[in-house]
Amino acid sequence: MASSQVVKALIVDDNAMIRRIHMTMLFRFGFEITEVEDGKKAIDQFLDGNEYDLVLMDKEMPNMDGVEATRTLRGMGISTKIVAITTDSNSMGAFLDAGADEFILKPLNFPALADILKGFNFLN
Amino acid sequence: MDVSMLQRTYTDLLTSLFREGILNQQFIELQQLQDENNPGFVNEVVSLFFEDAGRLITELISNFNQQAVDYKKVDAYVHQLKGSSASIGAEKIRSVCQTFREYYDKNDIQGCYNCIQPLKQEFMTFKSKLEALFALEQQIVAAGGSIPMMRH
Repeated sequence: MASSQVVKALIVDDNAMIRRIHMTMLFRFGFEITEVEDGKKAIDQFLDGNEYDLVLMDKEMPNMDGVEATRTLRGMGISTKIVAITTDSNSMGAFLDAGADEFILKPLNFPALADILKGFNFLN
Repeated sequence: MDVSMLQRTYTDLLTSLFREGILNQQFIELQQLQDENNPGFVNEVVSLFFEDAGRLITELISNFNQQAVDYKKVDAYVHQLKGSSASIGAEKIRSVCQTFREYYDKNDIQGCYNCIQPLKQEFMTFKSKLEALFALEQQIVAAGGSIPMMRH
């Protein structure tokens, strides 16, 4: 886990509304949230020395899509849990091959998110 | 109008939105995320959707009015709109987006084109109904009442 006891999450999605929804869900669990709007900015977060326990990764984004961002993070040796969240059901194979830990279709709902977080042991 | 009458009107409107298929379960998920720490959450998220969807539909119509339509761009816009509408529980909008994508996957250009007007219409219906719902919420709160929660 990142250095503090609080779970740190990075939300990566080009849609401000969806970032707001996912942020609100994660706040309910007491997580500390950072949001960025594309895959390149997600990479930059890690290159700047930030640490995260969890990444929620969209697929279709400008500058760098979620599959490429996932592959790049794994290539950098980042072992943070990555959950792919997209409407594109055909991208599951690509995301898992790139190194995502979980794949879930939008829309994300609170119980489904809780199950994933429990699976990662992020919830007490 | 007294508070209980306003609350009844609100519940009737919200129920009708589900019955007509304009909203789905995802909207209730959003309502359940709203609390005293986050009192304007649903309104805020729906307002973001109005802006985003309005822009996407304007771009879609503009693209279809070009001599050479860039269908890849159009499909990208519809994909974004499908994701947004699904995340907010705007079921009819999501459904038209799904139909569009099915036509696109079959290279059925006429089918794609035939989705644009219904998409615009469903968005305008959604916007006017949700604006009416939020106006009722404001009246209920101003009259000292609480917003009834829907169980679905």
